[in-house]
Amino acid sequence: MNILVFIKQVADTEARILIKGDNRSLEIENKYNLNFFDEFAVEEAIRLKGKVKDSKISVCTYGGKKAVEALRTAIAMGVDQAYLIDNTDLDTDDPLITAKILAGFAKKEGFDLILCGRQAIDDENGNIGAMVAELLKIPHVTAITKLEVADDKKIIVESDIEGGKETKEVQLPALLTTQKGINEPRVPLITGVMKAMKANIPVVDPASLGLSRELLSRDASKIKILSYETPKGRPAVKMIEGETPEEKVKKLIKLLREEAKVL
Amino acid sequence: MSKDIFVFIEFKDGSIRKTSFELLSKGKELAEKLSSGLYAVMLGFDTKGLTEEIKPFADKIISVDEEALKEYRWDTYTDTMEYLIKKYSPYLVLGASTITGKDLFPRLAARLDAPIVSDAVGIEVSDGEIKIKKPIYGGKIISWVTTQNAPISIITFRPNSFSIEKRQINGEIIEERIEINMDSRVNAVKIDKGGSKKVDLQEADFIVCGGRGMKGPENFKVLEEIAEILGGRVGASRAVVDSKWRDYEDQIGKSGKTVSPKLYIGCGVSGALHHTMGMDTSKVIVAVNKDPNALIFQYADYGIVDDLFNILPALKEGLKSLKQEA
Repeated sequence: MNILVFIKQVADTEARILIKGDNRSLEIENKYNLNFFDEFAVEEAIRLKGKVKDSKISVCTYGGKKAVEALRTAIAMGVDQAYLIDNTDLDTDDPLITAKILAGFAKKEGFDLILCGRQAIDDENGNIGAMVAELLKIPHVTAITKLEVADDKKIIVESDIEGGKETKEVQLPALLTTQKGINEPRVPLITGVMKAMKANIPVVDPASLGLSRELLSRDASKIKILSYETPKGRPAVKMIEGETPEEKVKKLIKLLREEAKVL
Repeated sequence: MSKDIFVFIEFKDGSIRKTSFELLSKGKELAEKLSSGLYAVMLGFDTKGLTEEIKPFADKIISVDEEALKEYRWDTYTDTMEYLIKKYSPYLVLGASTITGKDLFPRLAARLDAPIVSDAVGIEVSDGEIKIKKPIYGGKIISWVTTQNAPISIITFRPNSFSIEKRQINGEIIEERIEINMDSRVNAVKIDKGGSKKVDLQEADFIVCGGRGMKGPENFKVLEEIAEILGGRVGASRAVVDSKWRDYEDQIGKSGKTVSPKLYIGCGVSGALHHTMGMDTSKVIVAVNKDPNALIFQYADYGIVDDLFNILPALKEGLKSLKQEA
């Protein structure tokens, strides 16, 4: 089985993020990781390869040169090959442009199954998976929590639906996005890390994927950032004092009713 | 060119979801500013009663009542929405960033080659330009975005982003009959709706959240009782879910759900960043923790430093008598 995994390098949750003077760009502390939900996709691909004979896993990202680090993490975990689609000077706020590039790559590379995380934790969009599937005219399933292979043309997946779970049979080729709970992503072994350091990671020109430079440029974007701001902070916390728990609770309920007006 | 607005209606367990009424309320306000019409778009099967519920909130209600639409599927829903959008040419399509919304709208955006802004929390119109408010980086930054180069834009909003305004529009119902084909490459083999799980966590007005300070799964009973008195839901921190005291679907935070209830009560929650990222847009935050230095107090409006197991029973009794008075 030819498995393709899309990943993204994202700012660490703890990274400091500042708004630059123009209010239109961000300064991000140099702390980056493989996106939390993409780790599940990488792990699931590796597990699948262990179950299905003659499988190959390729991982790719549309990112800057720095994103190679996230690709190396995936290699250290156990994927076979990584590709960087270099977005230097082309980084976009429009998920549809990213999806078109990834779909172009998938077409060129060939695949039976595509896996990616259910969303990136930086822009919190969660659009890429379903968009790529639509562009490739293949089925998709969002937020899967279980994956089994029925035969070489069919998989069985369990995914979140409103208030419950659904199990579906899906014909390959297909695209699946991974949700927490599907597996426990492995921590790379030192031998994996060594292998990843040495791995050759080809750099792909996004303009070689069937899309013109104009279509990739910032002018083609249908999404425009107007400004960034920091969220309004809350006023300082009001600590509620009292002799007994009952007294504290009484004061709290009074404040929630009369001051905050939520009860 | 039309500036009409579509609101995609969702329902669950036989009722319209609260988030749909929120979108209709905001949608009407936008439609008034744009001098356009508000369409509620209802896809489903046997939805006549529900359509009536929507009438006061929208100028027009497009109802597609077909057996093939009984359960949500990306294929049938994307096809139907594409057909309706091409026929009515709305300017904005508003939906909720629920499990259904997150599955449907990106696919629909790609189908229509339309811009999409997902998981937004606000929208404004000034001089005909729309400005969409969207938190990024776990709420550390608020971005204001707009769409361009496109006749139609899709925007999804977090539940609880807008208040519900009662209206008396008495909109006209338009019944559309469409031939719908299911994609044979996907077959549902089992649907488990998990019983009727009370209020949806993301839609709840009141959330009582337990952290590691709850000490064990058995102690969540009192949180359940408090949530029931308030008509809300119990949530959990990552530590609690990782310890298997609660299910993942209860998890609030970066790797779980993002919630913005009217009132969030954190009980024994330390306030680690990955948790606060999922709840700091709550309108009012109460924290109860015996550690006066717990980080959660930096995010809270009201704080109580005390032993949870003294405060929670008192809180339950206090809320119960409040409810009895009312």
